[in-house]
Amino acid sequence: MSAPAGASGAASEPAVPERAEPAGDVLVDIEEVQETDKPWLVIVWNDPINLMSFVTYVLQKLFGYSKEKATKLMLDVHTKGRAVVSSGTRERAELDVYRLHEHGLWATMEQST
Amino acid sequence: MSAPFRRRRDGRFVVKLDPSVRAVLATLAQQLLPTLDSDEPMTRRLFPPAYADPDHAHEEQEYRDLVDNALVGHHRQAFTVLAETARADTLSGAEFDDWMSAIGSIRLVIGTRLDVSEDMAEPAADDPAAPEYALYELLGQLQYLMVEVLAAGLPPEGRPEGIL
Repeated sequence: MSAPAGASGAASEPAVPERAEPAGDVLVDIEEVQETDKPWLVIVWNDPINLMSFVTYVLQKLFGYSKEKATKLMLDVHTKGRAVVSSGTRERAELDVYRLHEHGLWATMEQST
Repeated sequence: MSAPFRRRRDGRFVVKLDPSVRAVLATLAQQLLPTLDSDEPMTRRLFPPAYADPDHAHEEQEYRDLVDNALVGHHRQAFTVLAETARADTLSGAEFDDWMSAIGSIRLVIGTRLDVSEDMAEPAADDPAAPEYALYELLGQLQYLMVEVLAAGLPPEGRPEGIL
């Protein structure tokens, strides 16, 4: 599911090397680096058309998830309206979104907060 | 009556469908083939946005520029294979995947036109939308049966994550 707003969800982000000079613009640069490093979340949204068994099958097929995990994600989509099905770099997330779109699922991506 | 779809030991898929159902599938695939375009209202549901946030309009345009041709090509291939093999007795694994994709896409297009919802009641027999709804239900039954056959071929424990 989506990371709670304000929580530091990405605890394992690579550390940015500290700079000796505490100049303001350097700090801004570091913040920008951290911004772009935040993982992108791939989200599948509930839609009234796709069959539940089909959504489970697609998640198993595309991501290699077990039947149990794919079923849990599908039920999250169905009952909560959306579920995070994968995460990673922007490029990786776009590829996953594309593969989900090929299968007719309503998938979008957003950066982790 | 035997199952409409079955995976044979040699990996091919046996299809046992009424000729009238096959004719409907071929006709739908042929009719929708020329409308496969992300700018076409009829089939727009097949081309959802990747970036839901309006602040990412620029990224969305980049994504569309990158994938639209490939996505149109994917759907065109599936619809073409369905139209051409609608009367076949057996299908290769790739053709069966194309059937699954095309039937699912046609169902999405019709369901969007009908504006279906999860708790929607079947329209009355004299409702002008009744024939199209019956078609939508038929496609749903076919998709359900195809998923059963394909899902049975997947390992229940999954694959190591990250492997495509």
